[in-house]
Amino acid sequence: MIEAIALTKSYGPRVALNNVSFTIGQGEIVGFLGPNGAGKTTTMRILTGFLPATGGDARVAGFDVFESPMEVKRRVGYLPESPPLYPELSVGDYLGFIAELRGYTGRTRHQRTGAVMERVGLAGWERRILGSLSKGYRQRVGLAQALLHDPPVLILDEPTSGLDPAQLVGIRDLVKSLAGTHTVILSTHILSEVEALCPRALVITKGQLVAQGSLDELRAMAPRGDWYLVEVDGLDGPRLGALPQVDLVEPLGADGSWRTFRLNARIDPRPAVADLAREAGARVRTLEHRLPTLEEAFVSIVGRE
Amino acid sequence: MSAVWTLWKKELRIYFLSPLAYVFLSAFLFLAGLFFYLGVTLTGEASLRVLLGNLAITQLFVLPMLTMRHFAEERRLGTLELLMTAPVSLGAIVLGKWLASLTLCLLMFLGTLVFPAVLAYYGDPDWGVVFTSYLGLVGVAAAFCAAGLFASSLTDDQVAAGLVGIVLLLPFWLVGRAEALLPEEWADTLRPLSVLVHLDSFNRGVLDSADIFYFIAFTVIFLFLTYRSLESRRWR
Repeated sequence: MIEAIALTKSYGPRVALNNVSFTIGQGEIVGFLGPNGAGKTTTMRILTGFLPATGGDARVAGFDVFESPMEVKRRVGYLPESPPLYPELSVGDYLGFIAELRGYTGRTRHQRTGAVMERVGLAGWERRILGSLSKGYRQRVGLAQALLHDPPVLILDEPTSGLDPAQLVGIRDLVKSLAGTHTVILSTHILSEVEALCPRALVITKGQLVAQGSLDELRAMAPRGDWYLVEVDGLDGPRLGALPQVDLVEPLGADGSWRTFRLNARIDPRPAVADLAREAGARVRTLEHRLPTLEEAFVSIVGRE
Repeated sequence: MSAVWTLWKKELRIYFLSPLAYVFLSAFLFLAGLFFYLGVTLTGEASLRVLLGNLAITQLFVLPMLTMRHFAEERRLGTLELLMTAPVSLGAIVLGKWLASLTLCLLMFLGTLVFPAVLAYYGDPDWGVVFTSYLGLVGVAAAFCAAGLFASSLTDDQVAAGLVGIVLLLPFWLVGRAEALLPEEWADTLRPLSVLVHLDSFNRGVLDSADIFYFIAFTVIFLFLTYRSLESRRWR
């Protein structure tokens, strides 16, 4: 549904995007991760046809962005980083204007604006002036603008920035409800957002795509890999380290007579730990396989040159 | 074409939702009233010559201010991105904005029609001259709105856009009075570029295709430059 092939963009001598390629399938929700200034917005602007690329190709919804920009624009809903609103207009006038720009007139125009306001939680707000809205509501209007024509492809640039926790949940639920029927690419630097919404993510830094894959695949790129959390009463670190499966033991803390350890192991050491505890007459209260967090993986991917 | 109409409506709505349109309309009508009063009392003629001549130069300062917000403000608000990612051509965006500014000018001129009406009550104005003078005024408005839009496309600072617009238009005014400043052959070469020269025949009641062409060409060139300026900014 979205395909970028060797996209390159330079502003004069400064290279903002360098040879970025990825593919996003129909109905996928993909997170677009990267530190500020990494090239997320530039990539999105190229995909929407706002910016021309210096090199490479992009296809969205079956059309080439550079050869048939109008066809792409008809099929894409785009929420820029800050919602593009006219402060003088009311919510209703603004969405009516967008609907007309998208070719809806008369009754369908009213149906469209009404339906989209319902969908983003703006019902009853048509007469409010955009300039007087709070950040959360401005974001909703921006989202309404992107969803109005029910586009097959949605490109959302930091859709939840500046929202309070309750609004955040609302917008996330909305984005989640688009999965399957809409292809969504959303940029963010909030990792918990990606974990809540996106099965897959792209990581970009300094204009280069440095990683892509499912969240588990990305987590596996953390430097220390997955590990095991053990909480025991009656075993110490050296005895755990003596197990053949265990490569490394790191004490994490204590709670009364309970000791917490982090084990790194190539083979699952949990049965061996349980057996050892039984033989030693020790008690076990936690024995868990832990994946590295996305944060750990992200920092190591982005920090890696 | 329907996109031009949609954009035209939006631009006018924003003009009338902000104090801008009212300030301009009242200021313009106030000045017009002043010029009319002075013109009639000083010359004692039942003519609009002084009024319309002065309104033309007023536009030199008013229209860049009227158009300065168009692209500068859209860029600052991020709404230019909205327009340019909607299925609308750049040409339609430029045209919609130009037509909206011109419409506001026509409304201003409409308000000044009260003065010929006053003249008709007390005297006997030459209606042909009144008609061609207004046509000249519309020509100036069309041309200057296009130039103002171009200035607005160059920067995202409204005030800078307004100043650039005035500075851009000033030479087209000054070359009409250039005889005093420049060598004669220079003045003769440059004179056809002058707004004043072409406006003058309209104010004398003469409709010459060369003058009409001048204002049309002025408008088209600046609308085209606006288009190119917006188009090229995408590449930077």
